[in-house]
Amino acid sequence: MTKILSRLTRFYRGNNAGIIGSALIALVVALCLAAPLISPHDPDRRVGRPHQPPSAEHIMGTTRAGKDVAAQALHGGRVSLIVALAAAGLTTAIALAVGVGAGYAGGRIDEGLMAVTNIMLVFPQLPLLIILAAFLGNVGPFVIAVILGLTSWPWGARVMRAQTLSLRRKEFVTAAEIMGESRWRIIAVEILPNLISLAAGMFVGTALYAIGAQAGLEFLGLGDPTVVSWGTMLYWAQSSQAFLVGAWWEFLVPGTLIALVGGGLALLNISIDQVSNPRLRTGPQMKRWRRMAATLDAKRREGRA
Amino acid sequence: MAFVIRRLAFYLVAVFVAITFNFLIPRLMPGDPVDAMFAAAGGRMPPETIAAYREMLGFVDAPLWQQYLQYLRSVLMLDLGPSIMMFPTPVTTVLAGTLPWTVLLAGAATVLAIGIGCGFGLYAAYHRGGRVDRFAPVIWQFAASMPQAVTALAMFFIFALTLGWFPLGFGFNPNLRPGWSLDFVASVVMHAVLPLLTLLISMIATWVFTMRNAMVNVLGEDYIAMARAKGLPTNRIMRRYAARNAILPVVTAASMALGFAVAGQVFVETVFNYPGIGQLIVRAVAARDYPLMQACFLLIVLGVLAANFIADMLYVWLDPRLRS
Repeated sequence: MTKILSRLTRFYRGNNAGIIGSALIALVVALCLAAPLISPHDPDRRVGRPHQPPSAEHIMGTTRAGKDVAAQALHGGRVSLIVALAAAGLTTAIALAVGVGAGYAGGRIDEGLMAVTNIMLVFPQLPLLIILAAFLGNVGPFVIAVILGLTSWPWGARVMRAQTLSLRRKEFVTAAEIMGESRWRIIAVEILPNLISLAAGMFVGTALYAIGAQAGLEFLGLGDPTVVSWGTMLYWAQSSQAFLVGAWWEFLVPGTLIALVGGGLALLNISIDQVSNPRLRTGPQMKRWRRMAATLDAKRREGRA
Repeated sequence: MAFVIRRLAFYLVAVFVAITFNFLIPRLMPGDPVDAMFAAAGGRMPPETIAAYREMLGFVDAPLWQQYLQYLRSVLMLDLGPSIMMFPTPVTTVLAGTLPWTVLLAGAATVLAIGIGCGFGLYAAYHRGGRVDRFAPVIWQFAASMPQAVTALAMFFIFALTLGWFPLGFGFNPNLRPGWSLDFVASVVMHAVLPLLTLLISMIATWVFTMRNAMVNVLGEDYIAMARAKGLPTNRIMRRYAARNAILPVVTAASMALGFAVAGQVFVETVFNYPGIGQLIVRAVAARDYPLMQACFLLIVLGVLAANFIADMLYVWLDPRLRS
């Protein structure tokens, strides 16, 4: 427990992007979790006149069906966030299984798995999703999470395989092999723990992608329009021509929430990258390094002159 | 040369997988397109019509492998059947009318995004830890993290609907006659600005990061230290030594990004009612026009695969190690 805490403090110290990103996500998640407590109205019920602008009664206005936008956004956020988490979890799990499997087993298994991965990788994902969703017909949130998870793993699998290959050649793995440890134990005890930070980065990256892809699919009308989520809110706003009658709040509320979560995940993603590869750092800690380089340069020039 | 042949074989396999997928999907799913049409017609459809539709769409009572061979042949002959939505126009004719718009938009967006993004990335890596390096990549990434549908809607609302700077939709002013007249070209450009901006916002971040990170990694190499030790001017080191090698990952990323550009196209074209393939596939899905839908999918996949192949060949040309 203390180990996790100290790791977390190390991650967040001086890491402004990470702090802001996590705070944004935490804020939205907390609001959505508290939906039943703080929601002003029932999200599924007609509670006002259609297309009401924001007012004291409906702080974020109403939809064409007279439903409260704020209530829908809070409750719908739960669906959107759960789909993103589930899709990211499934993707990371498949990427780990395929990547570690291919990297550790090697030979035929590696070749076969990588052939499938490479083909999946060059396939344009969204058209694939559209076709799948179209043939399955108005898919619910659960199915969306599954198809996002099943189609987004190839890039991660390649990264995991590369990392596994380099881990395999490390001394501690060789030592475990010589000691006669079983393959499963080596994978679980020696290899997987070293992939955790990579997997965390992948999870955040996929969640970011899944939030957008899910909203996009639902916006196009491929989701189940009777389930309230941020994507279907956009869909209803579009199909009831909310913009053209001036009901901008119907787009603004779900759009802003998606953007906040997306932005937060993006910031978190950048900071995880920078922690796992210090070369990529951009933060203020670079200042000292630059000052050192500058004085060195100046000294060198003086010496030459 | 072996590399070229291996890649070519790989893409041929990928094309086959795409065609097979297209063949299998409607046959594996519960119900078939004709059932959907039957339901859409409220069950009022004479059996002969149903049988005729089945025949037309290739759902004959033959073993699967025979159907598959027949499907392969019709794809090779570019005979993809008539569109249901625009019956009896052949699917290929419908596609031909929309293809130029998508190619125009995706092409312009990809080229501009690579140019602008790599410029930013190069500058950020050159002035590492400076103001641009600290803020530009994060701001671009933040902008790109918004789903394209949301960005497109925001653009539409602010610049087209509220400010009225740009037209509300479509590829050109329908009152003008298409041709190479100045008015028409100006109209096409004005209509393309907002869709293009939306695509750029979501695409540039990738290039900033790819270029910056590649540059930063290359700058840590020994031969850069060597060049510095020789006292070569920084500018020359950056351009002749570092950027040359940093461009390789950019080419790989270019092939990946094309699939992404196509995806963005779907949302942008839907929001701005742009007459391209992205919008067509969404309309085909809504109208349950299965032949058109599958043809759109096939065309998009083939386009992305072809572009990937070109990027691979570019890589061979840039990286001498692969040519031996």
